[in-house]
Amino acid sequence: MSKPNLTIHVRQAAPATAILDIRGEVTGFGENALMDAYTQASNQGARTICLNFTDLEYMNSSGIGLLVTLLIRVQRQKQRLTAFGLSEHYQQIFELTRLNEAISIYAQETDAIRAGA
Amino acid sequence: MTTTNSGRSFWPLRRKPKETEAQPAPAPTPLPAHEVLLGWDIAPNDPLLNYFLHASGAVEVNRLHLDSPALRRLKEEGVAMIVPLVSQGELVGIINLGQRRSDQEYSSDDRRLLDDLAVQAAPAVRVAQLVRQQELAAVERERIETELRVARTIQQTLLPKEVPAIEGWEIAAHWQPAREVSGDFYDFLTFEDGRLGVIIADVTDKGVPAALVMATTRTLLRAAAERLKAPGDVLARANDVLCPDIPPKMFVTCFYGIFDPATGLVRYANAGHDMPYLRRSAGGVEELRARGMPLGLLPGMPYEEKEVVLQPGDTLLLYSDGLVEAHNSQREMLGFQQVRGLIDGHAGGADLILHLLDRLAAFTGADWEQEDDVTLLTVQRLAQVAASPLAWRTLGEFDLPSAPGNERLAIEQVMQMIGAVGLTPKQIDRLKTAIGEATMNAIEHGNGFQADLPAHIAVLSAPDALRIRIVDHGGDRAIPTPDTPDLEAKLAGLQSPRGWGLFLIKNMVDEMTVAADGEHHIVELTIKLEGVVS
Repeated sequence: MSKPNLTIHVRQAAPATAILDIRGEVTGFGENALMDAYTQASNQGARTICLNFTDLEYMNSSGIGLLVTLLIRVQRQKQRLTAFGLSEHYQQIFELTRLNEAISIYAQETDAIRAGA
Repeated sequence: MTTTNSGRSFWPLRRKPKETEAQPAPAPTPLPAHEVLLGWDIAPNDPLLNYFLHASGAVEVNRLHLDSPALRRLKEEGVAMIVPLVSQGELVGIINLGQRRSDQEYSSDDRRLLDDLAVQAAPAVRVAQLVRQQELAAVERERIETELRVARTIQQTLLPKEVPAIEGWEIAAHWQPAREVSGDFYDFLTFEDGRLGVIIADVTDKGVPAALVMATTRTLLRAAAERLKAPGDVLARANDVLCPDIPPKMFVTCFYGIFDPATGLVRYANAGHDMPYLRRSAGGVEELRARGMPLGLLPGMPYEEKEVVLQPGDTLLLYSDGLVEAHNSQREMLGFQQVRGLIDGHAGGADLILHLLDRLAAFTGADWEQEDDVTLLTVQRLAQVAASPLAWRTLGEFDLPSAPGNERLAIEQVMQMIGAVGLTPKQIDRLKTAIGEATMNAIEHGNGFQADLPAHIAVLSAPDALRIRIVDHGGDRAIPTPDTPDLEAKLAGLQSPRGWGLFLIKNMVDEMTVAADGEHHIVELTIKLEGVVS
């Protein structure tokens, strides 16, 4: 269980919007995968980084810590961080941690792209 | 010895001359030297008995002409005179005499003497016979009573010696046989997973035959319940085995319910027994209906299975027909409606038994001869569960190696263990997150990822809550109490981006406690059940 069970595919959804398709578990083990994907998206000129949580299996407090770290980097680069596809449970966790105030949450990908455009 | 219808015996007595004395010439057989029992009986239908009953005084045998085998035999044996002993219109005996020693006829003085003797002897013989009868009856009665006492003792050993003690539940039983032994019985079966089987049964008939069938049925039900889980299957199996062996015209009514103390769920089946009453704490009385034939009538019968949930405060009453079918002095029956009304008017619990017995006594009156066995059983789910560790039942526990990422295994295993406990999907998600976070802390901070220091996880269930206990080996170090995470502070670099674990746990469960015993940390996560039974 100590290996990261996380793959992130980066795709360009709009001229300045990159979607990070997250598949698997967002835990402390996923740091490299997440940061590599962010770097790739940034290098492609994305101003909005959009996290697709549709295929998220599990996220723990370390994973939330990773999102905070990502958020800090995004804000430093004057980029925006958005997300969609969160289950009700993880939406509640975003509300508890107030991550939803720093990361705009959308129900669907089209909503997220429209908002990021 | 012939026994007459009245239970007495007639031993014809005779007096014989001594051997040294001259024998009377016509005597057909030699006679013993002194009074003896002739050693044979007069048949009860012999007309001689009726003749003696109505004879006025001593009877000369040779002058009698009756078609009587006894008379012929008496003549053959040389009996000359017979004195009937009649007391209160009953022939209680006869005195037989041989020839006079002088070989002369009995004189009228002799006859008067014999008649006077008969008048005095008859009541004395009667009294002696009664005393003897009573002695024999007393011996017989004592023998039967001893056997019944033994039977009752044996039967009582087949009944539960005590009611099960289950935290959050109160169980009470009353068993009152109409005779020394009973056809009623009840039984409790405790299963390893904490469930409780409750049986009440009533064998038709009373006394020893019913008690013997009761013992057999109890054994059959126990054997079936050990092998089969579903109450309907248990009754079907017991029925099939009982059918070939039960005496004709006997059968057994039986209710079998399996209680889950954690959830209040009762799964039950009924073989023709009076329907148990469920007294709801919120008010109202329900019948627990399930179709099924009494045991022992026909093999291959199906038994319908039903479920009901006892809410906190609810009481289930199981009873035998000795209660509802009790009659008062006007031959009126207590009946189901009245029993139901009595239950409705009572708050429930074990006191319900005393209440029903009181009302039964008032209904039947002081001189009531109990007609049938009376068995009453209450099972109450208590309204308030004491905050005691005993209230918690362990659903399962396991050790987890302290390796990174193993909290996922903990979540999986706990979820398997709580499968039967009612949680909403939302509660399940929250519990998963809380277990994951607490286990991560135990593995990482408590045990320092040391493989030889496992985290111990126990899953506990109470009637209204679920608790996960996570124990690590870091009890010599205090659990750090991090600052309440503040996203803005984290984004501003004033707090570590991490440190969300305890915050999440506290928000995911209804209660989190942390304790340390010097060696271990003990973290307990509690979620209250919302009355959902899965």
